[in-house]
Amino acid sequence: MKYSVFIIAALLIAAACIAGCTQQQASTQSPAASQDTIKVGVIASLTGPASNVGTNMWQSAQVAGEKINAAGGVTLKDGTTKQVKLIVGDDESTQAGGQKAATKLITDDKVDILVGGYSSAVTSAYEQTIAEYKVPYIVTGASSPIITHRTDIDTSYVFHHCPTTDTYGEYTTQFIDEVVRAAVNKKLGAPSDRPFRLAVLYQDTAFGKGVQTAVDNTIKTKNLNIVLVSQQSFKMGESDFRTQLTAIKAAKPDAVYIGAFPNEGAPAIVQARRDIGLNTIFLNVENNDNAQFYKDVGQYGEGAVIESRFSPYTAPAGAVAAAQDEFKQAYFKKFGTYPDMMGASTYEGVFIAAEAIKQAGTTDKATVRQTLTTMKMPQVIEAMKDSTISFSSGFRESSFDLWMEQLYPDAAAGETRPKIVWPDNLKTTEFVLPSWYEAGSSA
Amino acid sequence: MEDLSIILQILFWGLYAGCIYILLATGLNLIFGVMKVVNFAHGEFLMVGAYITFTVFLFTGFNPYVILLLSMLALVGIGAIVERLCFRPILGTGKLNEIFLSIGLIYIFQNGAAMIWGDAWQSVKSPYDGISVPVGPLSVPLDYIIIMVVTALILCGLYLFLKKTTIGMQMQATSQNRKGAMLVGINVERIDIISFGLGCALAAAAGTLWVVSGQVFNPYMGAIPAVKAFAIIILGGLGSIPGAIIGGLLMGLAENGAAFLLGGIWKDAVSFIVLIVVLVIRPTGLFGGKEG
Repeated sequence: MKYSVFIIAALLIAAACIAGCTQQQASTQSPAASQDTIKVGVIASLTGPASNVGTNMWQSAQVAGEKINAAGGVTLKDGTTKQVKLIVGDDESTQAGGQKAATKLITDDKVDILVGGYSSAVTSAYEQTIAEYKVPYIVTGASSPIITHRTDIDTSYVFHHCPTTDTYGEYTTQFIDEVVRAAVNKKLGAPSDRPFRLAVLYQDTAFGKGVQTAVDNTIKTKNLNIVLVSQQSFKMGESDFRTQLTAIKAAKPDAVYIGAFPNEGAPAIVQARRDIGLNTIFLNVENNDNAQFYKDVGQYGEGAVIESRFSPYTAPAGAVAAAQDEFKQAYFKKFGTYPDMMGASTYEGVFIAAEAIKQAGTTDKATVRQTLTTMKMPQVIEAMKDSTISFSSGFRESSFDLWMEQLYPDAAAGETRPKIVWPDNLKTTEFVLPSWYEAGSSA
Repeated sequence: MEDLSIILQILFWGLYAGCIYILLATGLNLIFGVMKVVNFAHGEFLMVGAYITFTVFLFTGFNPYVILLLSMLALVGIGAIVERLCFRPILGTGKLNEIFLSIGLIYIFQNGAAMIWGDAWQSVKSPYDGISVPVGPLSVPLDYIIIMVVTALILCGLYLFLKKTTIGMQMQATSQNRKGAMLVGINVERIDIISFGLGCALAAAAGTLWVVSGQVFNPYMGAIPAVKAFAIIILGGLGSIPGAIIGGLLMGLAENGAAFLLGGIWKDAVSFIVLIVVLVIRPTGLFGGKEG
């Protein structure tokens, strides 16, 4: 019996050790040099349902930190130069985990500034802590507008460096109205005033509801001839969408807009095409532009559309192409895979944090926050409005140039790959309806 | 006619989900019935089974339905080790010990799987991908028919094992009266280890069928199914195999019906609403005895 008790104790200790192994505490510099460093806390989902994207965010931050340090670090106004030290906090894809990570980074690690945040539900859960300790936080993944629009707590230290669901929901709905509608009408030989039948499948969180609300609001405010024929929700982390998709198919949609994470969006499309026989166009939110998504969706991704601003497999021609390629290569060299969109904005988030401290000339949090409100810096790897990163005066949101890309089979990759189809100044090919496409109604 | 077709389709998805739940809950009930231990880590055996199938499939490209047997065999072994090293020493020392031990096992298995396979979402492509067969007015993918047939075969095999083999009858005897079984010379510790291994093998079968059906998975996939499996065995009656089967089917149908009628967010909640209603009406569960 005693022997067995020892074995159990050993197993439990092993569990604790293994658990510790997933809590990466990597940094780009030794702790001994912490006084000469700028501490940037990175909140990412390293474990749990969002770990794929969260790991990408943390690894992208590391690439940024190394690049900044390799270039000499951050020179302050007094002439001193400091290296960037990154400290990660795993939000475990849960609200409780996020609260724990934010508190630890702020109170134990005493970070100067925070970057990251993926799930809007998780991020909004620890915003109270950010407000309480008044630490500047550049949110690079959570896309619900509530992140900076909420009024129940002070969000003045929170800056939003990713398009909100309002922005890309509106953008995608406009694309549907201008491009998909025309293609469907042409295929059907239908008059231009035929109402477009759109269905929405969304995650039942602030993020997913944000997408659904944005579509609804855009249709109403712009008086678009789009009818929402079905709106189905699912809980975060769901993997079986068959019942909701059956309901959507019964509503005969011309296209389905999916407000989901990549680990939800890919199986939803596979189940829709393979199991339900829903042969339509699926439009996806930008966070799905992720290497794992392309792998999981496989051949069933053909014809699907993703709203994007950074893709592992394509880039718009122009100023940012070379910068994006350099980032992708640096990331691939270090980790053997390609970064995704959330990684790209987190990479930029570290640069924004470094620039804000540089321009503020100090790590004093109130001064850094004030600097962020008025700061302008050149775009880094993603195309920004006016080629400049700055935060709006009202809700402290930066403005991106977005695009829509469609997925085509790629025999060499054995998966689909994206090509930009909208807007006109960025597109490399035209949007097309696949031969197997079935419209919701004949006229 | 079209409405009927939609209802039949929803029922079909409910049956499919029910098959996964039945296998998971039957395994859990087998373990509880014989050993009376509460194992919250049962969902982790589903996850490990899924990963074993995934790994063998990745390296060999064998038909995943064939790999299912290998995965079940592997889990018999893993389950036996876990029973021998973890549960046997604390058997009879109190439910709290069992609960904390199984919570510890959850972390061990989840983090161990994350270290071995990483925590990215994975998927397995069935060799029958894209093949549909007509079932009444429906056209359904062949995979789901195979999943239902495989589930039925496993349950028939389990029934025959319990009713026709000596070990099966000893397991039933131990389940009914542990002390009595000991008195008539049954090696209950041997029965414990077999029951635990068999229960884990059923979880592995559930995991394999889960991944073959096109659902993505990662090391944390077992948590929610495990909670539902507990709800099912309480619903069906603790220790009752028929209860687990009926409970699993009810749960699958209720979830999918609720997702269709009330919305996807009610999918999980309805399972527990059904559980509460049944317990209020019949506190021992659908098939539970007087002592539960």
